[in-house]
Amino acid sequence: MLDKAFEALKTYDWGMDPKLIQPIDEAIVSTHGDAAARKDLESRLIAALQGEAPRAAKDAVCRALRTIGTAASVPALAALLADEKLSHMARYALQCIPAPEAEKALAEALSKVGGKLKIGVISSLGVRRSAAAVAPLQAPLADSDPVIARAAACALGTIGSPEANQALTAAKARPETKDAIADSMLECAENLLAAGKKQEAKAAYEKILSDSPSKAVKIAAERGAAACAGS
Amino acid sequence: MDKNKLTRRRFLKTTGAATAVLGFPTIIPSSALGNADTPPPSNRIVMGGIGIGNMGSGDQGAFLGKKDVQYVAVSDVRKKQLNAAKDRADKRYQNTDCKAYGDFRELLARPDIDAVHIATPDHWHAIMVIEACRAGKDVFCQKPETRTLREGPLMIEAAKRYGRVVSGGSQRVLEDYRGIVERCWRGDHGPIKSINVEVGPLSQPCNLPPETCPEDMDWEMWLGPAPWAPYNAKRCDGNFGTGGGSWRSYIDYSGGGMTDWGAHHFGGATFAVDVRELQPTDVILQNESGKKFLTFQYPNGIQITHNKPGRGNMNVEGTPGEKKEAKPVPKYAGQGGITGDFIECVKTRGTPFRNLESAVNTMAVCHLGIIAYTVGRSLKWDAAKQSFINDEEANRFLDRARREPWQI
Repeated sequence: MLDKAFEALKTYDWGMDPKLIQPIDEAIVSTHGDAAARKDLESRLIAALQGEAPRAAKDAVCRALRTIGTAASVPALAALLADEKLSHMARYALQCIPAPEAEKALAEALSKVGGKLKIGVISSLGVRRSAAAVAPLQAPLADSDPVIARAAACALGTIGSPEANQALTAAKARPETKDAIADSMLECAENLLAAGKKQEAKAAYEKILSDSPSKAVKIAAERGAAACAGS
Repeated sequence: MDKNKLTRRRFLKTTGAATAVLGFPTIIPSSALGNADTPPPSNRIVMGGIGIGNMGSGDQGAFLGKKDVQYVAVSDVRKKQLNAAKDRADKRYQNTDCKAYGDFRELLARPDIDAVHIATPDHWHAIMVIEACRAGKDVFCQKPETRTLREGPLMIEAAKRYGRVVSGGSQRVLEDYRGIVERCWRGDHGPIKSINVEVGPLSQPCNLPPETCPEDMDWEMWLGPAPWAPYNAKRCDGNFGTGGGSWRSYIDYSGGGMTDWGAHHFGGATFAVDVRELQPTDVILQNESGKKFLTFQYPNGIQITHNKPGRGNMNVEGTPGEKKEAKPVPKYAGQGGITGDFIECVKTRGTPFRNLESAVNTMAVCHLGIIAYTVGRSLKWDAAKQSFINDEEANRFLDRARREPWQI
């Protein structure tokens, strides 16, 4: 059954019955805890990803690698990050693979992709919440394209560490990026407050309030600053 | 006085200048001045609707029917639907003031709008709720409020951060299961041991063939954060089926019946046995006569089972003969069901009946169950850390990468 499914994967296109490749999903469940079987399954998925299979097939492979992908899958997935059609599905897997190689591949892709794809890579780095991602996110935070800069601000807010807060505090806010940076600083300030670092949190809230924030941000920062005043 | 509490009147005063600059309608309908039955605008909640198809049109009708709401804007990716929604609002007020937007972000950018209702497919909910909170809007979001486990806490954080009132949208939790809830809270069953929920199925992969996208539809915007796929009418149909031929059937947009009706049933069950503020610690996958079912173990000892053979939907197992202290059953605030509850809470800054925390906790049960069935094993859940214990693979299902340029 599994062999037939991998054979079907070679020509699997939109409109074909998902049951044709369902044995792959079943194999993922049945091989849990069996390292050798998983390694074999992953190798076959990587081969399919590197072959000439249609987009729908590679979409399905990325979904499977989201669950069982390891460092071994990273090169094949990373090669798709600059592919307009498959970049998202490559991230679908890479974002979930805990291996540091996945993080490194995403960080390296920052300088290789642009536009929407770059936003996607930035987003995935944020969701992984790695401290190591703060440094590579600082360049996009200063990007002349406000859409990229806002995405980097959002990712740094998701990371939410004191280091992310420092990067956001140091960023030169422009009218188009001001609220996104402030929103992420609010996230960081909440984390600082929760960690008992009231002075740092207060400084973040005061910085936000000094930058002529929008009404919604102003209310949020005032609430946060008030929380810092408590014992 | 807490200066952070923005009154309606102060809000209107401070946004008036911006509204004038942006050129929003200045024609004043007779109803705008207020009368014995209709409050003047300064006491009305200014609302807009996002995702205005099946459930969205129903919600729009409910809000249009409220005298303390001024409904001014709609957003949808289907022009016919969008125009029909605008027409409904215009007919209600006998003017042409309702603005129609293909992109919800334009609606959220309007400073005159106080609150929005959201009834898009589930894969959009988290982004829209969070963006609405960031824009300073209160939110009524249809169920299922979340599509992934990670989304819930982020939505709660955004609502808290910006001080927003956010209500979920399951009217059935209080209305359909009232009798069961009242018996449980009155103590008729004695201390509760468990309750069973019958619901399904899980959503499925979708690989429908490409079709020509109607000209009046923005397909890229419909897909939004979901993986790209070719247009097919059955992929995005808003009918309530979960067995194929509707977006509710497919993994990228919905959890299937498990989240769609699950939002109601598990919402009713968690309410009946009073665990709305909790999340399970264990999800136990069992097999009885070839039929898989789940037991959700709560930290207070109560269990919710899913599809346990031999038990019906909302079947309660109590402790007959033992006493349980009766408690009053929470109710909606205001008048007019769950939408009236939301409007009343917007005015009073109160907590809605289906507040976001309890909605997220309900949806967590659904998502935890889906993940256990998907990976085919029992799971231990750390609610404080929002992660599975000692199961790195299950943790990969906490969220999914969003298609660029969408992120939360």
